[in-house]
Amino acid sequence: MIEAVQLYKRYDKASPYILDDLNFTIERGEFVFVIGQSGAGKSTLLKLLIREIVPSKGTLKIFGQDLTQMPQRRVPFLRRNIGMVFQDFRLLENRTAFDNVAFALQVTGASELEVKRRVPYVLELVGLAAKANCRVCDLSGGEQQRIGLARAIANRPAIIVADEPTGNLDPATSLDIMNLLRGINVRGTTVLVATHDREIVDRLQKRVICLEHGRIYSDQSKGVYARAL
Amino acid sequence: MLFNGFLYAWSEAMKGLYRNRWLSIACVGVVVVTLLMLGTFMMVSLNIDFITDTVKEQVEIVVYVDEAATLSERDELRALLTANEDLSEVRFVAREEALRRLQLQLGDLLEGYDLEAENPLRDSYEIRTALPESVSTVARDLEGYPAVGSVFYGQGVVENLFTVTKVLQSVGLLLMAGLALTAVFLIAHTIKLTVFIRSDEIMIMKYVGATNWFIRWPFILEGLTLGLLGAVLPLAGLYFIYSAAVEWVVSNNLLFLSLLPMPVTMLVLAKYLVPLGTGLGVLGSAFSMGRFLRV
Repeated sequence: MIEAVQLYKRYDKASPYILDDLNFTIERGEFVFVIGQSGAGKSTLLKLLIREIVPSKGTLKIFGQDLTQMPQRRVPFLRRNIGMVFQDFRLLENRTAFDNVAFALQVTGASELEVKRRVPYVLELVGLAAKANCRVCDLSGGEQQRIGLARAIANRPAIIVADEPTGNLDPATSLDIMNLLRGINVRGTTVLVATHDREIVDRLQKRVICLEHGRIYSDQSKGVYARAL
Repeated sequence: MLFNGFLYAWSEAMKGLYRNRWLSIACVGVVVVTLLMLGTFMMVSLNIDFITDTVKEQVEIVVYVDEAATLSERDELRALLTANEDLSEVRFVAREEALRRLQLQLGDLLEGYDLEAENPLRDSYEIRTALPESVSTVARDLEGYPAVGSVFYGQGVVENLFTVTKVLQSVGLLLMAGLALTAVFLIAHTIKLTVFIRSDEIMIMKYVGATNWFIRWPFILEGLTLGLLGAVLPLAGLYFIYSAAVEWVVSNNLLFLSLLPMPVTMLVLAKYLVPLGTGLGVLGSAFSMGRFLRV
């Protein structure tokens, strides 16, 4: 589903590579943690996956399409198949939980009927059906991240990419969010999580790719944080 | 599908205006104040042009017929004047009519003179040129026509009048261009600011897979609405200002200040202000989004 071959990335020709010769494959339905110290290249890798930036060299294929060759006009359609979850939630603050989730469906041209059916369903999945009409700014951090998650799965994407999804949350809430991600993964969605959260990584015992200075330092199928580093 | 897309964009635009109502009001306020200033100046400038044109059109040449000219020479002069395409109006004034006008003007002052028995005045032609500015050239040409005794057109005064009106019109045009540029700059930057404040919203749209046009349309429609409101409100204000000015001119008997009729003025103002306001709203929104769409 995701294949990186000799993948390199640097932001300008004078600077060193942020990602340096990455080679990996992620199959459909996998749950993968990407760990590493700050500056190891985790966020850069995720940005490449959603085609926010393009590789400097090498190949990065998602759904069989090489992102280096993808024309800009195709990018929105790629992103509709990849749900993004951010550390800072990136929600429309002055709108309701319903509106934030509905928004992801509306951009794909979904009918109003579809929006009215699908949004309550995904809000129910993340346990926020009762707060559909609350404004985002009135909700807690954990609730906001659940909305972020609901928005990410609204379009039934094949992949969820989460960049430090628990970075701003307390341990209990973090575990809730991770359990939700695990539930989404069990339904067949590929999940890729960049994180620093040692406890979560150790508890879930999923595949762990560890980056160091832009290179893959280790890639374990049922990894734990300490062993990966 | 296309209609549904338009409806969605339109409803999002209206929601966007409402959600950011204070920003929208501030933006419309800037557009209103800027276009009101520009419109007021345009109104003044248009009327200065109109008054100067009216004054210029009143400039005429008087050709006095030589008393010694023969009938055939007089006929030839009449034929030449009528055929001259540089002249827009040629009116023959017989010496008897000239005397009647003089008697009307001077009244009692002429008492005691038997002017009808011995009329000292000459036959003449009162002439207007197609181009008021060409009056001195045409007058010089007419001096060479047969049966012409003398030509009078207010030599010296007319040249000064044309210089003054030309300066007035040029200064007006220059000031208006400057003000229009300032308006463009101010409005474009205000619209840019409204888009900048909502850059996060645009970025989120990009992340969830919105196409650039899907994002652009509501913003463009918002820009259009803000621009239109910003242009129509000053037009309403200018209507009242102009009505008051016309009323003041009439009530003070300043009828020599021949102002442009209200519908003409408003039409000209609308012709410039509405496209300027809406155009800047649309283009300002479309262009200022550019860099936020590169995500």
